[in-house]
Amino acid sequence: MSTLEETAAGAPPAQALALELHEIQATVLRHRPAPYFGAHVLLRIDDARAGRELVRRLMPHVDSAASWWRPANAWLSVAISYAGLRALGVPDDSLQSFSEAFRVGMAARARQLGDEGVNAPSNWEAPFGTGQVHIGLSAFSDSEEKWGRVLAFAREQYERMPGVHLLAVQDFGFQPGDLNSLGYKDGIDQPAIEGSGVDSLPGQGPLIKAGELILGYPGEAGVPLPMPQPDVLGRNGTYVGYRKYQSRVGAFNRFLRAHASTEEERELLAAKLVGRWRSGAPLILAPDVDNPALGKDPRRNNDFDYAKDPFGRQAPLGCHIRRMNPRDTKLTRLTDVNLHRLIRRGTTYGPPYDANAVSEADDEVPRGAIFLFISAKAMATIEFLQQEWINDGNFIGAGDERDPIIGLQEKDATFTIPRDPVRHRIHGIETFHVLRGGEYFFMPSLSALKWIGNLEERGSIEQKER
Amino acid sequence: MTMQTQKGTTAAPKPIQNVEEKLQKLREIYAGAPELGRVALERMMPELETAVRLAPKATTAGRIGIRQGKVSEFLLIFKLRPGGADRLRALLGVLGGNFQGADAVGTVHDMRFVLLDNDTKLLFATAFDGDWDPYIADFSTKIPDPLDVLFCDCEGYPGMHSPKVGEYLLSHQVQADGWYVANPNLTVAETRRLEKIGKAVDEFLDKVG
Repeated sequence: MSTLEETAAGAPPAQALALELHEIQATVLRHRPAPYFGAHVLLRIDDARAGRELVRRLMPHVDSAASWWRPANAWLSVAISYAGLRALGVPDDSLQSFSEAFRVGMAARARQLGDEGVNAPSNWEAPFGTGQVHIGLSAFSDSEEKWGRVLAFAREQYERMPGVHLLAVQDFGFQPGDLNSLGYKDGIDQPAIEGSGVDSLPGQGPLIKAGELILGYPGEAGVPLPMPQPDVLGRNGTYVGYRKYQSRVGAFNRFLRAHASTEEERELLAAKLVGRWRSGAPLILAPDVDNPALGKDPRRNNDFDYAKDPFGRQAPLGCHIRRMNPRDTKLTRLTDVNLHRLIRRGTTYGPPYDANAVSEADDEVPRGAIFLFISAKAMATIEFLQQEWINDGNFIGAGDERDPIIGLQEKDATFTIPRDPVRHRIHGIETFHVLRGGEYFFMPSLSALKWIGNLEERGSIEQKER
Repeated sequence: MTMQTQKGTTAAPKPIQNVEEKLQKLREIYAGAPELGRVALERMMPELETAVRLAPKATTAGRIGIRQGKVSEFLLIFKLRPGGADRLRALLGVLGGNFQGADAVGTVHDMRFVLLDNDTKLLFATAFDGDWDPYIADFSTKIPDPLDVLFCDCEGYPGMHSPKVGEYLLSHQVQADGWYVANPNLTVAETRRLEKIGKAVDEFLDKVG
């Protein structure tokens, strides 16, 4: 099996290493294995002392990103929401050093995120947006058996702990062929981080300054981004936007069938929406027919720019991957593309994609993807992407059109496929991914976790010293 | 001339039950106006009545500011350092209205720079598409120089590279109490696109007509 993750992981460290990998949590840099299994566990802390005890117990088992390019079989990460930091007894001056968007949480930022209508927090699943989600544990592994072990270990820690309440366990796992819930190979294009120790893959784009993605390092403007205080809490940490989407597979299949008559046409339309064939082969390199060998090859499947396709006749300007990373596309607004990239850890849940699912009942089957969007300014970046690149078309001169895959579509929404001599505009595109909930988390460094776990003790020492 | 620099908060007007009540309230407030104003107000009553019946056009843009459709207003007032006004005037003279940075930004409808109060203050006013703060970092990495050279003499200006520049601008923003936009749904990008299409259509019609 040849996957991006394995090939990328097999590359020896060539680019100089400038990050303190032993401090950064593994999930920040490690790609998910293939196949992958895991779970996101959401916890509430009812008692600060118990919460800190839990953090101390988990601490030795939270993996760092050291040698992240080598395959690993299982790892655990810990992320804490603002409400969680409060519940753990983080002091007020520290709490106030977090940005406003993080403090109020994802649900309260619904207006800035455009999470309205079906995506509004009032329609979210419990416990999202209730202020109860304090800790998010994520366990990743490459086999069902190891996943079971990691999870059993984690369960032991929180179940025997009065004052720690289990809110939800969300299992996830790879689908046959490592496809997402709409049947596409995904997770291909990740930002290349300067100083991370690994050469970028062909086409991965310019190296992005580490400070954009991990706190405590210079960002693209040459200075570090604002960091929570004290330093030990902020440095080598980062933020995670957790968003759970449900795929409306029936609506998606109905759309493909309504606007294409043969299977070939359907697959071409499916590719035009994303900018890649379901195999992962990009339209820029395979404009007319799919090329599964290309899709599979991590050294080739991302090795392109848009210089020869300024009008989007191969990859529509509004297709999903061109919106999420416009690369060298000429945008109508002055934009530094490097400032708006995120590390994504996509995890699929529920039954696999079914090409024959066309009923409205199929839309309600719980299946989709949970994304961890990771960056040193994840809140600002997610809001930017939602406002500018997902739920608007002005930046590419496409008026009100929205991202065909993850956009929240308005009534009678359109999707334009540029063609010679005249463009083809499809009417009636629907919302294919409904947001079921989300939270903002801080993913602290290992030293910061220790600092949080020992807050009480240090407090009492200070008192003694006085 | 003196300018009010406190934050203009167009606090939501008190809910008034009906149109007549609202107009009556306006009449009462205008009772103190010069006669010419009072007479004009009475002549305008039909128009005002229509306005009251229509839904308000303005919404909020970002944390401060008004938006109509896709266009937002953005007005800043700064205290200038000694000599700052002369430098700015000289720079604006050299530019002669050729703001290539603004062209590149692609969302700016207009900009005006006004020196106030014996050259001690700068008023900067613009209309632009969408929100500015999502793009503040892009300005910092893409066009820091045109902005730094324009605003360097504003008291307390931290420079485009500072992470505090967004907060600084926000703290000097004054919200308009009234604002009119002719084409609230036309962005700069859309206007440029329509201009191009219009020309192409004319060329086509010239050939066939």
